[in-house]
Amino acid sequence: MLRTLLPRRAPARPLVTQFGAANTFGPSLGVSAGQRWRRGYASEADEKDLVIIGGGVAGYVAAIKAGQAGLKVACIEKRGSLGGTCLNVGCIPSKSLLNNSHLYHQILHDTKKRGIEVGDVQLNLQQFMKAKDQSVEGLTKGVEYLLKKNGAEYIKGAGAFADEHTVQINLNEGGERSVRGKNIFIATGSESTPFPGLTIDEKRVITSTGAIALEQVPKKMTVIGGGIIGLEMASVWSRLGSEVTVVEFLGQIGGPGMDAEIAKMTQKILAKQGLKFKLNTKVASGDVGSDAIDLKIEAAKGGKEESLDADVVLVAIGRRPYTAGLGLENVGLETDERGRLVIDHQYRTKIPHIRAIGDVTFGPMLAHKAEEEAVAAVEYVTKAYGHVNYGAIPSVMYTYPEVAWVGQNEAELKAAGVKYKVGTFPFSANSRAKTNLDTEGMVKFIADAQTDRILGIHIVGPNAGEMIAEGTLALEYGASTEDVGRTCHAHPTLAEAFKEAAMVCYDKAIHY
Amino acid sequence: MGFGCMKGSVFWMSRRRLSAVLPTGMAVIRRMTFCGCDTSQPAMTTRPKALANSVHAIHLGTGRPWRPASSCVVTAAAKPARNTAELAAALAAHNFAMPAMSPTMTEGNISKWKLKEGDSFTAGDVLLEIETDKAQMDVEAQDDGVLAKIMQGDGSKSVQVGTRIAVMADPDDDLSSLEIPPEDSAPESKKAEEKPSKPAPSAEPGVPKTESSKAQSTGANKPEGKPRDQKYPLYPSVQHLLNEKGISDEEASKIPATGPNGRLLKGDVLAYLGSIQSDYPKKQAQRIEKLSHLDLSNIKAAPPKTSEAKKPAPATRPEPPPPPPETQVTVHISLTEVLRCQKRIRDSLGIDLPLSAFVARAVELANEDLPRSKLAKPTADELFNAVLGLNKVKASRGHFSPQIMALGPPLTPVSSARKTAAKPDPYDILTGKASSKGAKRTPVAFEGAGVSASHNTFSITVPKGDEKRAKVFLERVKTVLEAEPGRLVL
Repeated sequence: MLRTLLPRRAPARPLVTQFGAANTFGPSLGVSAGQRWRRGYASEADEKDLVIIGGGVAGYVAAIKAGQAGLKVACIEKRGSLGGTCLNVGCIPSKSLLNNSHLYHQILHDTKKRGIEVGDVQLNLQQFMKAKDQSVEGLTKGVEYLLKKNGAEYIKGAGAFADEHTVQINLNEGGERSVRGKNIFIATGSESTPFPGLTIDEKRVITSTGAIALEQVPKKMTVIGGGIIGLEMASVWSRLGSEVTVVEFLGQIGGPGMDAEIAKMTQKILAKQGLKFKLNTKVASGDVGSDAIDLKIEAAKGGKEESLDADVVLVAIGRRPYTAGLGLENVGLETDERGRLVIDHQYRTKIPHIRAIGDVTFGPMLAHKAEEEAVAAVEYVTKAYGHVNYGAIPSVMYTYPEVAWVGQNEAELKAAGVKYKVGTFPFSANSRAKTNLDTEGMVKFIADAQTDRILGIHIVGPNAGEMIAEGTLALEYGASTEDVGRTCHAHPTLAEAFKEAAMVCYDKAIHY
Repeated sequence: MGFGCMKGSVFWMSRRRLSAVLPTGMAVIRRMTFCGCDTSQPAMTTRPKALANSVHAIHLGTGRPWRPASSCVVTAAAKPARNTAELAAALAAHNFAMPAMSPTMTEGNISKWKLKEGDSFTAGDVLLEIETDKAQMDVEAQDDGVLAKIMQGDGSKSVQVGTRIAVMADPDDDLSSLEIPPEDSAPESKKAEEKPSKPAPSAEPGVPKTESSKAQSTGANKPEGKPRDQKYPLYPSVQHLLNEKGISDEEASKIPATGPNGRLLKGDVLAYLGSIQSDYPKKQAQRIEKLSHLDLSNIKAAPPKTSEAKKPAPATRPEPPPPPPETQVTVHISLTEVLRCQKRIRDSLGIDLPLSAFVARAVELANEDLPRSKLAKPTADELFNAVLGLNKVKASRGHFSPQIMALGPPLTPVSSARKTAAKPDPYDILTGKASSKGAKRTPVAFEGAGVSASHNTFSITVPKGDEKRAKVFLERVKTVLEAEPGRLVL
């Protein structure tokens, strides 16, 4: 008698754990037919072709793509809004702050020489933040709409593995629910790596999440980590009036991917804007006092200790995969020493129908990389073939001027023992940059010394982030610098600098 | 010749359809449709090509495939050695090739021709339905005409893009006197290049076999059929270098290409010319190819977490537990009494009861109310009862079926028919349980063979911990078989 009240165990379906997408993904007609007779058991976990844990860039893109491919798909997100770190507390809100703070900074310091005199300029930080929040809200709602439009179910809650095919969800609105998936994607993303010895409170000791939501402009700010996130946030608050010091352990800013020459140039430009840099410096300890935070810093290779005090300390030393509460132990999935889920080239974990994409696994932690992987992973499920070219993933730092690169840098090529040639072109020789009074930076091509094939493109300068798209395309097609140099570029545009740098590489520039 | 390549076939698709199918490839297709692909592809203008190519250019340019017209004769005029007889034949009708419905399509199935041979059509009419792994699409006529001959009928599978699937004629052409043009060059797709030996889709009845095979051979001899044929516009640097060094396109198509998807790169040409090491581009391509994948070669697994309280759980929960160690329980049983009983029944009642019937009944009986296995998980009902402190279940029904091995001299098989035993229960048949039940209830399916009268071992293999239960079972089997087997069946 009681048996009927207890939750029935989901009938064991013949689950093919062999490789090959055709096996793990059955025709959806069969699914719905199977679904029909099992309906009626209220507590029965409903079965999807694909369950995605995480509604960030990897997760939501996979959900949309899978919906378009006709899969029955559910996307589980606990944040309460889709888009993950990128849309909610990362790329998008920071771009709003970067853009508007640049505008503010320009009005204060730049428009006068252009003949525009502005009277009393006031910063309304509240409105400043509201503009950001509105952008974020509009975009996250847009993503939610896209999921709905493509037939993907959006489940608000925290998912955890119950078994290899079942995800148990703690719903945000209360209650529980479980979903079964023939395929499961782990797209739980990453979180800021905390700094040992400093407790993050997101008010005074902050990560990037706190850095986009400060309630007042700090007088003094210390940024630990001179990578992309650190420099972007340093730029925002420096433009708004903070005195910002960036402490970086390595000998160059921008992280290891940025070309050394470009990094040096960027540092010079940013220093002119008022940022202070302490390279080759490590933070030994931090002391959060009642009115100031005191950091003890010393030279990375050992040296005398210095003290650095600030109102706000931003910890931006990197990000780490986020798998807490996911119940990986329930299915026996492994991570590597840095917490990344171990996958193969088709994003499969050791349980083949469970795949991991985005920041939670290997590769650069970039939203567009996550997006590419999402599409590829869905295609591996539906078509058994996906494409991501990890050799052509651009990186962009949205400071002013922007820094962007794709492919390899000089240090990497030297390490690989490849003979290369370099072609650079400064924006100061570009007509459009000149008319814009915006001439800082340069374009740098690195090409193979023998074949002229483009190996890397590095840009610092206005609109570098947009311009790198052309470089990525060139790299994807295996183009030579001559191919770029012989392609017509509109005049007068900044992109002409791109073309001329290519020309320098295989021949000579016209305008330099 | 013309329509052997996909450009020609596109001509017959409505632009509206195309844009639906090919949103990104539209620009390319338009160019082909409007001005003729030959002129748009710079490489071709300098390349001496077979005559028919010029015809292609002509009819593409004018929209009147079989009449030389004024507008697009540019390339045609440049061609050498024009043979008028051949020209006339080519003008009589023209081939309609399998269209590429998407940039990646290499082959497709013809689901249905909407027209019969001899039917005329006007622009916009649906000619046929094509089916790919992705979708089913209608192919519409772009111009008026008559369907002269269908070369690939309904249901043709895996027709390569560019393969001739029909012959079209002008609306006022006389079909009876129409000359069927030869098959165009073999499809220039990569697929075809990889397997040049693959025979062309067999010619339909009515088309002389020789003709198609001849066409095939001419197609195979063309340089375009080589693996390195570059169909897309060449890279500007490559084009420049080829012209500068006076390398013909035929020669260019022989240069090993190392670019993505077999594209010809500047470095390849340089290596071909000898200005750089000849194997360098390949090495470089391999290095870059390596960069295009995630480096998963050197994964260091996370050290086992020691401090976390959760750790014990994953150790036990993740994998299904390994099958418990098993053990064998054996007992010796004499079947003398059973045989005697069997004989008695046969003598007195005239019924032939097989040995298996005795053993099966004995097994069934012995399986009743066995002591509970230590390994068995309590059911929901039992748990409920246990919570309420109700009766504790001590016994349960077993599902043992013993293995029997003869130790003594084997019995001679009983040869008589055994209709009674074999007869299935109609109820089982109706409920569809016949097979499974039969297998369970009569675990011992032997007919005297393999058993001896006096010494047999009955053994069962059970998980460790279940020995007691197994022992009880076997003792019961022994008792019933040795003491009073008659009661089992009577």
